[in-house]
Amino acid sequence: MKSIIAATLLVCFFAVTSSELQCEHTQLDIPKEWKDMAYPCISKMRSQVEEELKAAMQYMAMGAHFSKDTVNRPGFAKFFFKAASEEREHAIKIISYLLMRGELTSKVSDLIKKKCKLLIILTPRLTSWANGVSALKDALRLEAFVTRKIRDIIAVCESNPTQFNDYHLVDYLTADFLGEQYHGQRDLAGKISTLEKLMGQHGPLGEFLFDKKLLNDEL
Amino acid sequence: MKAFFTVLSVLLVGVLASEEYCYDDVVRACKTTNKLSTSPINCTAKYGAIDGVEEYLQKYVNHHFIRSFEYLLMSTHYANYEKNRLGFEKLFRGLSDETWHDAIELIQYITKRGGEMNFQTVSNDIISEEQQDANFELYELQSIAKALDIEKKLAVEAHRIHGEATRKNSKFHDPEISSHLEHEFMPKHRDTIRKLAGYTSDLSTLLNGPDSSLSLYLFDEYLQKQ
Repeated sequence: MKSIIAATLLVCFFAVTSSELQCEHTQLDIPKEWKDMAYPCISKMRSQVEEELKAAMQYMAMGAHFSKDTVNRPGFAKFFFKAASEEREHAIKIISYLLMRGELTSKVSDLIKKKCKLLIILTPRLTSWANGVSALKDALRLEAFVTRKIRDIIAVCESNPTQFNDYHLVDYLTADFLGEQYHGQRDLAGKISTLEKLMGQHGPLGEFLFDKKLLNDEL
Repeated sequence: MKAFFTVLSVLLVGVLASEEYCYDDVVRACKTTNKLSTSPINCTAKYGAIDGVEEYLQKYVNHHFIRSFEYLLMSTHYANYEKNRLGFEKLFRGLSDETWHDAIELIQYITKRGGEMNFQTVSNDIISEEQQDANFELYELQSIAKALDIEKKLAVEAHRIHGEATRKNSKFHDPEISSHLEHEFMPKHRDTIRKLAGYTSDLSTLLNGPDSSLSLYLFDEYLQKQ
């Protein structure tokens, strides 16, 4: 009996004195009135992160295609790899905006990790193109798609009558995001026009020359 | 004796001739009088062990993309107003950027060796990881521990690909692939792993002390300057 008591006391002693790492902090009590984004708006912005990353991976596939030795268009490859990294920067910008407004305090993992969503993002829809101009056309269609998505966010965040007209977000999306989209689309459309005309009589030669111009940042 | 040498020379010629795929194809292609004939010529950049390790390299690229996005999530978590750890945000954002650019470089490397990229291939381990709803909103020590494990997985995978390219079998001995991995990836991984392991040592002693909250703040401040 005495030995049992002694043993239990010993166990308790060790339990009390064994050091435990204080890894977690106490619950915080921060006022929440300043967080004024409406739920449908937040939801749309969150899904835009995934859209931007999908666009980034689509550009990555284009870059990979034109890097192949059998295709050999380093100018196109450079252009598309750069576009891929830019799309990722857009996704990061959207995340930064949400963070500024006090969002993304929960379900951060769901942004791109909900049940194999990441594997879906990772697989681009298209992976090969017959020539450079068809890839540029697909790029333009991709940009137009992303622009429509941004306009959808603006529509939801601005004019949903029962909720909150989010002036700042709409202004930010209109100025920064839409501005960049429209400039980018104009740039792509111009490139497609130039390339198609270059390829008029001498297809491969036109594409070859265009590729070198792209490589040397002459366009 | 003479017979032996003639047989040997014939064999040698035969061996060398069979290695002139590109030249033979070009000769054949140029001989055709039909100008519209476009049969492809077998002149690729493939040599050495690229066929043997292409799939592993493709998987390695996809793993880099996955880890890049995971680090981005961890960075996002630390940047929200409740965590507000700018040092940790910077650490994970740096890891995300690094894995992203490594992936692009690897794609360029695969294509340089005459291969191509396949965005759908990943290892079975990753697939089973992805099938669970993972949590990337971790506390500080846990997040660095997770990063350390991720980096070790990437480092060991590079070792495996290196092994695939340097088997004694002549078909798979490819010092170029192994030296590319040795120079471009292994030192970087080694240094990152050492850095993260050092952070876990520091953090675990700090969190064992009386004021873990202040320690975390000061550690985060230190990370902001790295």
